[in-house]
Amino acid sequence: MSNTINEEQKSSLHWQKVSPWALLYFVVYFSVRFVKDGLLNLLPMLVVFVTQVENKLFWAQVAGGAAFISLLVYSFLYYLNFRFCISDDHEILLNKGVFKKERLTLKFGRVQNVNIAEPFYFTPVSLVNCIFDAAGSVSQEVVLPGVTKDYAQQMRKQIFAFKALQQNEDEQPALSEADLAENSLRISNKEIAKFGLMSNMAILAIAALAPFINVFIDFLEQKIIYKVEGFYQQELGMLANAATFAMITLIVMLVLMAVLLSVTMSLIRFYNFELYFKGQKFKRIAGLLERHQLSMSMDKVQSIVIKQNLMGRLLKRFTVECLQTSSGGIAAGVAAKKNKQTLVLPVLNSEQVDSVCQWIYPWFNSKKLLFKQAERALLYKNLGFYAVLPSVVVLLVCYLGEFNYWLSLGAFVIFTGLVSLSYQRYGYYLHEDNGRFYMVVRRGMIGVHYRVFELYKAQSARSISTYLMRRAGLESLYIQLASGQAFMPYIKKQDADFIIDFTLYQAESSNRSWM
Amino acid sequence: MFKNQQIMDLPTHSAISFMPLADKALLHKQLNWLAFYIPLIGVLIALCYFNEAFANNAQTHLLIGMPILIAVSMLYNMVNIRLQGFAVREHDVAFKKGVIWRQVTILPLARVQHMEIHQGPIERKLDLASIKLFSAGGVSADLQIGGLTHADCKNMRQFVQNYRQEDTNSRAEFINE
Repeated sequence: MSNTINEEQKSSLHWQKVSPWALLYFVVYFSVRFVKDGLLNLLPMLVVFVTQVENKLFWAQVAGGAAFISLLVYSFLYYLNFRFCISDDHEILLNKGVFKKERLTLKFGRVQNVNIAEPFYFTPVSLVNCIFDAAGSVSQEVVLPGVTKDYAQQMRKQIFAFKALQQNEDEQPALSEADLAENSLRISNKEIAKFGLMSNMAILAIAALAPFINVFIDFLEQKIIYKVEGFYQQELGMLANAATFAMITLIVMLVLMAVLLSVTMSLIRFYNFELYFKGQKFKRIAGLLERHQLSMSMDKVQSIVIKQNLMGRLLKRFTVECLQTSSGGIAAGVAAKKNKQTLVLPVLNSEQVDSVCQWIYPWFNSKKLLFKQAERALLYKNLGFYAVLPSVVVLLVCYLGEFNYWLSLGAFVIFTGLVSLSYQRYGYYLHEDNGRFYMVVRRGMIGVHYRVFELYKAQSARSISTYLMRRAGLESLYIQLASGQAFMPYIKKQDADFIIDFTLYQAESSNRSWM
Repeated sequence: MFKNQQIMDLPTHSAISFMPLADKALLHKQLNWLAFYIPLIGVLIALCYFNEAFANNAQTHLLIGMPILIAVSMLYNMVNIRLQGFAVREHDVAFKKGVIWRQVTILPLARVQHMEIHQGPIERKLDLASIKLFSAGGVSADLQIGGLTHADCKNMRQFVQNYRQEDTNSRAEFINE
């Protein structure tokens, strides 16, 4: 993006304003930003207010009213200054800002995705937000709020047509008939609810409540625990264990609430999930409060992750993620996820996983992947470090604390089981299909995690070995991708060297764009 | 299933002949460690001077332990620097390092997003520098090579900047090298 524009262009530009309904978007947008960013900055003032001010209710009303009016005025001024235009040079130009005026220029060629979001407050007036994603980061995003759906779709077509034209000039292979056939997948809301059980959203929700946990516990103690305890004492006559039962009841209730919250959050995010795949492009529509339409070109996908945690195993469901570039490390990766740039297929059964993966990689069949496992030396090393050593520590604790020595045997059995499971999960599989080379790396313990990627997308390759590994002719292998890392420990040196050399050969000799 | 088809002579990274770091790289490393040890020794001397109980308990141990610790770390640095090496090939940069965990990292030039050259005060005095090469997706620099001469760093930066995949030889020629 640049912020310059020449004078000649300026005169011929046709600047447009967004619909007045976009004011609603700005009010919601700045409210959310105020809550997310502003409240933390106002915390010192809040402390002064709570400790020093006497007539709290009156002044809180005054401050709240002033904040609300400021928000409305600022949003209105922002709306007045918000203008956009599509230049003849295939650029989106945007004028925005109140105190600090900004002009953004986003070239069509740099647009990664055009997403269409339908917030609930735009539904009665049939308007949408058209989101142009430049590089998978929040800061490089242009949003045109309150435009018609037709206009947004026309913009998307125009940009993708321009990009296709550019790519054809770069000698992109023509799409086959199979590529142009449309595949679709719908996930029922009942299945989406299962994602709430599988995901860690409940933990995130609890983490968000962490600052208020003391207040919450005090409240529970005063209002609920005593009452539940009283109930057990009076109604059921359990005098001795009433307090314990009250505590257990409370914990069960909290867990149920967390699960309910998690399910609700999943439904808000993935409600009425629809996925389409045509011409090497994904289109996903989902969301309860905001129908978010995400489009993603396959060549932007750096790797595909298929994962299943403990709950997923019980429910026999997987989650599939199509990851884009997350340049800048973990923070950018998290930002990309937050910004909904990662295509998440929340709940799929194994047949659906195969079916969706086959849209992208026709060769993919999870049951026919013949993984090459890590060497047994990994099992012996991990048993030593993660089973025997911790068990010896437990034995020492039992000896010093005069606990039952059988505890250490129990710990040894559990640790050995987990180490063995983890060892068995490690595996890699290389595949050639129509002159393209792919790698699937598997890891896990109780759950399982697969990463599928095309070798030429690798960013760098690394081998690691210790003295004992070198003596046994072994190496561990890392392949850095633009969206994470593939790791395969303890494989034969000749295999690791071959994979590194071949990956480098693919990355260095391919003229195809990796990003 | 993967077919390991013959693709003539695949360039092998195990055959790379790595160049050693600059002559003054070891001196830089030792000075860096001394810059850590000297203030530490100063703090311990001050502690012994002002705290008699601490001095009585720890003085003998410190008098024996500190020289051994410094000697071991100096020896470790010698081995560490000797085991490090870098190589710039036509299409990638390779770097090996590590005493206990030996690592070889290879970064294709076509994947380099940006570079940084860093020179600290000791490095400036010794005319050394370190170069960091970043690719997409990495948490920090994918490749960080310290202990190079400043001129080597600038040459490497220029080489990487000038690299354009399409300018290099065609795929077939590349394989046949």
